[in-house]
Amino acid sequence: MSLTRRLVFGSNPRRTAVRVLVLAAVSFVTFRWVLMPIRAEGISMLPTYRSGSLNLVNRLAFVYGTPQRGDIIAIRLAGPHVLYVKRIVALPGERFSMIQGQAYIDGVPLSEPYVRERRPWDVPEVTLTPREYFVIGDNRGMRASDHDFGRVDVTRIVGRVIF
Amino acid sequence: MTRRRLAGVAGVVALAAVGFLVWSRWGSNDDRVIRERLEALRTEVNRSTTDGLANVARAASIGSYFTEDVVVDLGEGSAPIRGRLTLMGIAERLQARTAEFRMELDDVTIEMIPGGTTADGTLTASFIRRNATGEESRDAREFGLGLVKAGGTWRIARVTAIDVLR
Repeated sequence: MSLTRRLVFGSNPRRTAVRVLVLAAVSFVTFRWVLMPIRAEGISMLPTYRSGSLNLVNRLAFVYGTPQRGDIIAIRLAGPHVLYVKRIVALPGERFSMIQGQAYIDGVPLSEPYVRERRPWDVPEVTLTPREYFVIGDNRGMRASDHDFGRVDVTRIVGRVIF
Repeated sequence: MTRRRLAGVAGVVALAAVGFLVWSRWGSNDDRVIRERLEALRTEVNRSTTDGLANVARAASIGSYFTEDVVVDLGEGSAPIRGRLTLMGIAERLQARTAEFRMELDDVTIEMIPGGTTADGTLTASFIRRNATGEESRDAREFGLGLVKAGGTWRIARVTAIDVLR
């Protein structure tokens, strides 16, 4: 066996082929159903995520637990190819409001160290149903009208964004 | 199990997986035709013109993808657009603005309704705009569709914006 062939196929080509197939299958399953790669677009999650950054969504994050306040989650639209990435600020059953840029949960001010700039957004109080979370991006320095945020049904949550 | 038999089983499983993927992706003939129509509509919307007459032709072409009594409901804050002519008028007037962005359609699902002449669908429409520095921003929305087959041609009869974040 020539050196080139040996470098490409290894000393046992059949075993190498099996390894390649197994690696391809594991990668396919991992990146399709477990850790879904996404590319952030837009500025609504600044400064946490910049536009163009590559991130992973852990689709199994909420199999044995429920989303928590502060979690950054991926939210599906019609399918998994275009997702919203937002942070959970209020949990099911809670009352959420925002006055002059300050978020309130059940009337108590919410500490949000991840927010760097604040515009005086106002959000009328809403009470979340047992299946709803309230989500917003971290960039509050933009106009509220340019920012998608609000109540999301639990069935829309794809997973937790990591990295 | 011998190695040869194992390879045979793996081959059958791989073939079944490929068959399932092909079946789930292309589905029935009508499903495929509807997807092709939506893709053609996307191409038409993304075609930019500066010529006045071409602009009218483009609006008419876009209108041909919709039924005469189409209803486009963009959700809270805007009145529904009723009728193909109204839609064509809007497409013509907004040409200068729509030329600034590119539309993409993702995650198209089509559900045929028994009878074979109507179908429901959902998709994500993204409107991608490039600013002066070349950076792109994407505004994505989910839409529900109602489609009707008349005279052998599938047309969109209803478009409803779905608010994922309420």
